[in-house]
Amino acid sequence: MRQYETDSGARKAVFSPVDNRARVDAVVHRLGDAIELGLLADGEQLPGETELAGQLGVSTVTLREALMALRQRGLVTTRRGRGGGSFVSLPEVPADDRLRARLRGWSTEELRDLGDHWAALSGAAARLAAQRTAPEDLDPLRRTAEELARAADAPARSRLYGRFHVELAAAAQSARLTREQVALQSEVGALMCLVLADDACREEVAECHRAVISAVQDGAHETAGTLAERCVRESAARLVAVRLSL
Amino acid sequence: MGVSPGLATLDTETETWVASQVGGALEAVFETVAATRADTEALLDRVTARGRPPASADLAALRPGLHQRLRLEDLVSGVGFVAAPGLLTDVPAWLEWWQSAADGDVRPLLLDLDPGHSAYSDYTHWDWFALPRDTGRRAVAGPYVDYLCSDEYSLTLSEPVLIQGRFAGVAAADVYLRHFEAAVLPLLRRLSRPAHLVNARGRVAASADPAHLAGSLTRGPDFGGLLTGTAPGAYDGLRLVPCHGVPLVLVLAG
Repeated sequence: MRQYETDSGARKAVFSPVDNRARVDAVVHRLGDAIELGLLADGEQLPGETELAGQLGVSTVTLREALMALRQRGLVTTRRGRGGGSFVSLPEVPADDRLRARLRGWSTEELRDLGDHWAALSGAAARLAAQRTAPEDLDPLRRTAEELARAADAPARSRLYGRFHVELAAAAQSARLTREQVALQSEVGALMCLVLADDACREEVAECHRAVISAVQDGAHETAGTLAERCVRESAARLVAVRLSL
Repeated sequence: MGVSPGLATLDTETETWVASQVGGALEAVFETVAATRADTEALLDRVTARGRPPASADLAALRPGLHQRLRLEDLVSGVGFVAAPGLLTDVPAWLEWWQSAADGDVRPLLLDLDPGHSAYSDYTHWDWFALPRDTGRRAVAGPYVDYLCSDEYSLTLSEPVLIQGRFAGVAAADVYLRHFEAAVLPLLRRLSRPAHLVNARGRVAASADPAHLAGSLTRGPDFGGLLTGTAPGAYDGLRLVPCHGVPLVLVLAG
């Protein structure tokens, strides 16, 4: 009984309604990223509201609010009547400008926290991978590092950068870390285009990835973890620097 | 000392029995894979006999069989045919892949296989595809984190599908590791010594030994070499028993 009293504040938080705003934002981020990354093509029709809400696991009310926000940003248009529905529409402004507008939606504190979460995931994954990796398990990571070194455009670099971290989590033999990393990359992927367009940054990242692979291969788990964290922190710092220049 | 030859023989018999039971559990999954391969080869033969190359829509004919196998074989959570790139006329790559959902429903896997969109569009490097293609034989891939299809820690059993002797893709089935563990743990617990199962690379696939948990590596023995034969081996006090017919080794602590 006393336990309940002391913890009443925390308990109240547990049973309070799940923040609808957070869900709307999550849907806006998800669909917005997909459009920015070209996963959804210009002019493509989105599934119907009920179906889309079901697929995303949110209520139709939440989905409508999210579509409204996407319309306001010019990423979605809605046509009524026969042949109507919601369509992806890429505004005429260059992709970089739209991404900068997206980044403006993040505070530096949120970016710092995102970097912390990411560093925790990738650092832990690198440490475990160093303990659990057979030589053959490193082939995917090597391939990704090589492809990243050759990738020409920013979206391709960003996809490969994300894949490296997902593969690192898989090399740790952890389905949970991998799922977390996939979710995190779906948030951060589009933003990383802003920093990876720069060849010097791409080179620095590629160098860092090669160092992580070597440490994992040598079974040097502390070094691998520290290197992976540093790699992520440098990327997050670059994002913060771009954010502060806006 | 203190162990009579009779008991030692009994131990050896139990070990051999457990190894063969583990092999039998995966053999049932391989039957599912073989049925999918046979269906796919018959279908592709029928289509090509009509004088046209196969298209993705042709593979819809596989669905009743795939759905039935998902429902009948408890260990199997995903099953299907993965086409070799270039096999089908209308798409560069294709997975006719079905999964059982937590609610018991059967659902198709829909992947973005456009390399311009997805960093995961090239599936030809995964062991479950590359091993049957390169060796011409059936294979067990994993344990590995399957972030392409299921997000689960899994084993994937696969075998090559051939049209007129040429590689056309793989038939495969996914076994989630937690289901595999549930199937083999009662067997491992019958043994008098702490035991675990490893793949050819020494990766632990299931364990009744807290010192060797699933996903970790057992380093030292040449498990791949041991699996080329059927005779048990030993390494630094460990006893190593190959599981008949499947690339797993039963490891017993000293």
